Amino acid sequence: MIKIRNKTLFAQIMAIILAVPMLAWAGGGGATGFIDAGTFALVIEVGLALGAIILATVVKKMGMPLPKLVQAPILWAVCYIAFRVILQPPIPFSLLAMYMGVCTVCILLYCSLTTESWEEFSNPIAKMLRANSGGAKMSRYATFVILPGLIAFQTYDMMLPKFGEPIELRTVHPAPPASINTHKKVINLQTAENPFRIGDDGNYLKVGDESKYFGGNAWTGDVPVFLQKVQEGGQVFFGTAGCFFCHGDNLDGLGPFSFAFNPIPANFADSGTIAQLQESFVFWRVAKGGPDLSREAFPWASAMPPWEKHLTTPEIWKVIIFEYWHTGFFPRTWG
Amino acid sequence: MSVIQGEKKKKVGVLLLLSMLGLLILLPFAVTTTFASGEEEAVAEEGDGEPKMGKDVFYKEEGQFGPISSRPAPELVYPDDYGTYGDYQSRTILWIANQQHLYFGSFVLAVPMFVWVMELIGILKYGKDPKEGKKFDDLAHEMMKISLTAYSVTAILGGILIFTFLALYPGFFGYLASIFRPVMHLYALLFILESGVLYVYYYGWDAFNDGNGDWKWTHLGLCTLLNAVGIVLMVMANTWVSFMMSPAGVDEAGHFLGDIWKVMHNPLMVPIVIHRILGNMSFGGGVVAAYAAFRFLSATNQAEKAHYDWMSYIASFMAVMFLIPLPFAGYWLMREIYGYRQQMGITLMGGLLAWVFIMQATMIATLFITVNYYLMQAMGRIPGSERYHGAFKFILAILVISTISWLTPHTLVMTPAELKAMGGAQHPIVGNYGVMSAKNTAINTMITTTVATFLIYQRSNFNLKVPWAWKGNIFLVCLFALAELNILFLGIYGYFIPANVRIGLSVPQVASTLTCLFVGSTINAKMLKGAEPIGEIRWGQMSRRGAYALFMLAVAFTWTMAVMGYLRSSVRLHWHVNEILRDNSPWAFTNPLGYAGNINSLNVLLFWTMLLFVFWLASLYATKSPLAREAEARGEVVAASH
Repeated sequence: MIKIRNKTLFAQIMAIILAVPMLAWAGGGGATGFIDAGTFALVIEVGLALGAIILATVVKKMGMPLPKLVQAPILWAVCYIAFRVILQPPIPFSLLAMYMGVCTVCILLYCSLTTESWEEFSNPIAKMLRANSGGAKMSRYATFVILPGLIAFQTYDMMLPKFGEPIELRTVHPAPPASINTHKKVINLQTAENPFRIGDDGNYLKVGDESKYFGGNAWTGDVPVFLQKVQEGGQVFFGTAGCFFCHGDNLDGLGPFSFAFNPIPANFADSGTIAQLQESFVFWRVAKGGPDLSREAFPWASAMPPWEKHLTTPEIWKVIIFEYWHTGFFPRTWG
Repeated sequence: MSVIQGEKKKKVGVLLLLSMLGLLILLPFAVTTTFASGEEEAVAEEGDGEPKMGKDVFYKEEGQFGPISSRPAPELVYPDDYGTYGDYQSRTILWIANQQHLYFGSFVLAVPMFVWVMELIGILKYGKDPKEGKKFDDLAHEMMKISLTAYSVTAILGGILIFTFLALYPGFFGYLASIFRPVMHLYALLFILESGVLYVYYYGWDAFNDGNGDWKWTHLGLCTLLNAVGIVLMVMANTWVSFMMSPAGVDEAGHFLGDIWKVMHNPLMVPIVIHRILGNMSFGGGVVAAYAAFRFLSATNQAEKAHYDWMSYIASFMAVMFLIPLPFAGYWLMREIYGYRQQMGITLMGGLLAWVFIMQATMIATLFITVNYYLMQAMGRIPGSERYHGAFKFILAILVISTISWLTPHTLVMTPAELKAMGGAQHPIVGNYGVMSAKNTAINTMITTTVATFLIYQRSNFNLKVPWAWKGNIFLVCLFALAELNILFLGIYGYFIPANVRIGLSVPQVASTLTCLFVGSTINAKMLKGAEPIGEIRWGQMSRRGAYALFMLAVAFTWTMAVMGYLRSSVRLHWHVNEILRDNSPWAFTNPLGYAGNINSLNVLLFWTMLLFVFWLASLYATKSPLAREAEARGEVVAASH
């Protein structure tokens, strides 16, 4: 029976009890699609972190503080589980290694923040290395067998021939050329603007001002000029060019053909793709496709066809208008 | 009587000296005027004797055309225009020579700036407390002592660099010299002036020292001159580098169009200069702090330990003061690079070199974490700081979360299988941290947290006595909380608006951070008025981990400089001078990351090896002779040998 010493401790235990249904709700939501998988993972991680803090405080208040030497591996394991298991879809090993590197260093810093905590962390290690007791000796033997063993296994595993495809350091957004020649016309990629950004007054629609058209239906009868262009772009996307086969109905890169490609097609709904690029950059990619990727885009892993051979220049600009409108992103500008 | 005569002689001597220095200042300008008049001499002439005009690659409108005043940029051919040393890569040899010169150059330019501040504080304090004033004056003197040896090393490395250019890249260097001819001479002459002022300043330290009198102020004036010349030298060298990145004042063929100012005032010159000045200051502070840490760790008695503990604190404080605005200056530089050439910006931040930026992000995060860690260790010697120990882990947690966000790459390294498992090139959750909205939020959070740690450090020794202390505390908590909320909100809001507006959001984010810095520091200082110290600060009792943290700080500065220098240089890709002079050597390719990392590490190692030698020399200088030690043991007073 845990003796409740004070109100604070009681409140903390209650907090844990309350946190359980909250996590269960979040979990249920994740399973039923009530919230998306990403939010679910975040809720679980935040819940875990809060739970760990509360639990540590409770245990400390109960007069059973965990020594730093025990806290450190627990913290490390919690971080590893969060990044390796909870965070879905799985992150690549390179990123996991970076995250765990940061966590490892910071856990060591945490253990040495004050002289007391450093002594709490290092004294047992020093004792294990120096003491003559039987336990210390056994620990020494175990350490000096297990550690080299782990390193040996790691080395063996690294040297073992692998059958998977090798890592590719692929430049997702290579630098574009200064200008391109499309349909016998030179387009300066630094300054080119989409000619179909037309506002209600017939003038050029500044980037950002199109937000008023977001969420509207471009396929109803009488729509503003901008939405007419969106509609025409949509016809190119779903009809003339059939972009959706690869880039998906929702422009999320998950079209019916997508998994036939390696890498899979670009996900325009992600904030890291077209949202980061100028319209002229997207024009270059659509018009010239994979065959005209620059030298730095090694290994030129793109199945994108050079659409200038099938679409007119206005069609390319219109499909770009459609892509930004559909995803709700704005192209990058420097003005 | 003899004292007055001596004083007069001293005055006359100083006047003569200052006149000589004044003449030396005028000399370069006289020389430039001579060169400048020669600049207008047009090389190419059209049939009617009028000089042929060229169109500037950068300047537009009325200043677009200028008389062609040099030969065009040469078509370099390998091996005729390139030299080699056996099978070694000439580019790598030049890279190392350049980086070493730059390290020492940065250091010797930064130290006099600190020295100026220290000497000024010393003079101002001398009136109230001569002992305290002398303490700062001695600190300035000691900093200058390290710098003096480093100055000779800088000059030697400068010579090596020039010879390396001439031996390995004669074609390129010839072209650069044909453009910067007059400025290069001015640079050399200013270097003579810098040396003259430096030696008078250093060796005249005791001769000019009358506490806080006219002589001391004259001495400080010399330091001002030393810094002014140093900054001009740095600006000049930067114009060459920025010209290579973003040429101006030349036409497409590389003809010089007769106006050297346009060449110097190229599009990236100002942001590079500002960034370098701040970077130099941080780096200089970091290196002096590392020197103090070195002496702290090797000190044999408590007084020495206490002195170097204090010195390391002052130097690291200066380093941090200039580290805080550095990311903002870097952000501005990147914005200017994007404005100049979109391709260059994308190559740097989203394309080929994006991963080098991840290395840089790692180092910047290391700098901020190390600074916080050092302050926490330094609080170990401050009675009363125990009250704040509980907050340390939360500060560290904020820094870790920011770091993870700060260094999440946009372009991930992964196997095709991992890419498929992830469902695309970007991760649906952590992919959001790969863009600038997240990066700005992370760096502003790290800086704000560092400011908070510093305020805690400042107050840790005191019991506040002002009657409005509780209100002040609430205000400070609200200030930091609101600032952080604003930074977070703007970071998230950035995902929903166009990029050009998003870039503008960095201004209120930075404003939040700077408000915390300035308002927070001011309120904190006001609250500390009349505060009661809880106990004497135990200088010299900082943990050894604190001293190692200072080493880490300085090494991180060095590595960051190496990485960023490599990045700035590599962005020209296969150009010596962007879009003007093509690099036709076999080394015009972009290095693999591993190779670049190894050479950067080698540079860091070389620099620190040489610097440790400089540190050792400085400590040797302070070592007493065996005779003096024996005399001291016998209780006799011996005059200092220096």
